[in-house]
Amino acid sequence: MENIELLAPAGSLEKIKYAFMYGADAVYFGYKDYSLRANAKNLSREEIKEAVLYAHNLGKKVYVTVNIVFHNEDFKGLIDYLKYLSEVHVDAIITSDVAVMNIINEEKIDLCIHVSTQASILNYEAAKFYKNLGATRVVLAREASRKDIKRIKDETGLEIECFIHGAMCTSISGRCVLSNYCTNRDSNRGGCAQICRWTFDYEDNGKLITDKPFSMTPKDLNMVPFIKDMMDVGVNSFKIEGRMRSIYYVSTVILIYRRLIDKILNNTLTEEYQRYALNILNRVANRESTPQFFDKLPGVEEQYYLGRDEVSNQDFLGLVIDYKDGIATIEERNYFKIGDNVQFFGSETETKNYKIEEIFDEFDNQINEANHPQMIVKLHVPFELKKYDMMRLKVFDI
Amino acid sequence: MDYQLVLESLMKMSKILININELSEIEKYRKIGISNFLFAVKDYSIGYEAFDLKDIPDDVYVYLNRVMDTDAIDSLKKRIDEFKRFKGIIFEDVGVFNIFKSTGIPLIWNQVHFAVNYNSINFHLKNGSASAVISNEITETEIDEIINNSVKPLILPVLAKNNIMYSRRTLLTNFNKYNGLDEKKEAILNEKITNNKFLAKETEYGTFIFNNEYFNYTKLIPKYEDKVLYFLVLNLDLSVEEINNILNGKKFGNDGFLNKKTVFKLEDYK
Repeated sequence: MENIELLAPAGSLEKIKYAFMYGADAVYFGYKDYSLRANAKNLSREEIKEAVLYAHNLGKKVYVTVNIVFHNEDFKGLIDYLKYLSEVHVDAIITSDVAVMNIINEEKIDLCIHVSTQASILNYEAAKFYKNLGATRVVLAREASRKDIKRIKDETGLEIECFIHGAMCTSISGRCVLSNYCTNRDSNRGGCAQICRWTFDYEDNGKLITDKPFSMTPKDLNMVPFIKDMMDVGVNSFKIEGRMRSIYYVSTVILIYRRLIDKILNNTLTEEYQRYALNILNRVANRESTPQFFDKLPGVEEQYYLGRDEVSNQDFLGLVIDYKDGIATIEERNYFKIGDNVQFFGSETETKNYKIEEIFDEFDNQINEANHPQMIVKLHVPFELKKYDMMRLKVFDI
Repeated sequence: MDYQLVLESLMKMSKILININELSEIEKYRKIGISNFLFAVKDYSIGYEAFDLKDIPDDVYVYLNRVMDTDAIDSLKKRIDEFKRFKGIIFEDVGVFNIFKSTGIPLIWNQVHFAVNYNSINFHLKNGSASAVISNEITETEIDEIINNSVKPLILPVLAKNNIMYSRRTLLTNFNKYNGLDEKKEAILNEKITNNKFLAKETEYGTFIFNNEYFNYTKLIPKYEDKVLYFLVLNLDLSVEEINNILNGKKFGNDGFLNKKTVFKLEDYK
């Protein structure tokens, strides 16, 4: 099996550290300019340098998104920025604009080019076009089928990166300006207002066809059932969406896929683990998730019909900040109390069930509940935990 | 109409490139001086009335605006020779460019929403494209900058319902099925908060959504007449007479983004 990479989103240095800790081989993020998450926290130039050093010390990789569709005014400072990314040794940039690729070639800037999913690559001739521009990897459109992926790999030999989890656009990525029309926010420069998650009156000849609101919101992507198949057709990099998601979400999703990929590579994957993985992934997100285009065209079941149907998740109960002599020190994230059944999990900690029998505050006073965000509490835990392990509500058995 | 006005009108019409919805339109357009035609091609186009290759006359442009998957690109490769009689191919997917680049057929880059800077446009022009279609979500100032800095004459859309979303999903079928409604391949989606209406058209290749009102940039024609290759009209439902009236100054449609600069950082949003 050719190099397999688990690629995680990271909107901050903190998220980068969690991503690597929980099993990512590489991370991607953007800078305040030139990147499609214009309103995310994003990283400063100094932080990019720090992230690269941190990653490379772990033997891992860093990709930087330069993926807006550039207007003339947006090129200001770009050459210097690309040179900076080269100087600090980022492993690649992710871009869809041929002008950016051309600048890298003409200025002889030492940067690997990964072609963004915004370029909507679904066929091998398009992939060859970008290969001729120096691209070493293509991030395929989320609409790519098994057949498309295999042909692109076979015909080009390029590294293939595919999204495996997270939010989907209703549109082919890059082919939507609904946001521009409805809010004047430019979707292809990071201002997308997600109008496709709104509802519409459904009309014909000025009359309502139905009283029911028209919705075109897709469910999230979840490729758990097809990771092995994706490996078989030549996917190298398995990409998780969500640069603006929480550390709990990102850590949970990364860990599930890390273990899934490792089990596939070690030939130890069981149906039980796949079922467990699906349960956890469906629980951690605020939307349902499902495979979309890999094996068939999405139909009725792959989208919502009632507009936003998103449920806030309060399963993340606490972060382990210390473990010594059987006592776990926990920083609270969501309310928990004596009697709750929870699970601990971590990058090197097998997921374990635990029933909370006693809670102590930071001064060792016994209390009944942890009810303030970020309050420090202690629990007697009979198995070893590590700093940055997480405690969640137990919903599914391991 | 005096001789000078007639001449100006004919010059303007000779720069119009218009899509055809029915073959009978061609003669009517010729009578008003329009002689450059664009045909969407069945199986390789989406959103517009598409024709079998065999039914498309010689010496016109063809519009291949699908994002091509493997089957589409394989099929297209087998039919390259059938395209040699055309004046040119306006393409969305760079895979199309790749398979036609050595045929000598003029290729025109039209990656909708992406032709918003002259660096990218010039890259395509210097690397084999004969021209490019400027995107519609930019201001007049940006159009100016692009036209004045491009290395070859470009195509400026002046009248169309702008395509604002292209989804591979069959969005209308899915909604109709879920709600037990009759099959419908075309509908209006009315977004009431921002007062926008969108026209959704579905085929087996996905759903193409247009703004339901035409933008009308015909006032720019005198300004750019000597600089562009063509002024593009993408007609969905107007008669030849209506098109003629609009091109000759009838008030119609909106100004699109000509005077409306889009923003993308919340701090820029006023």
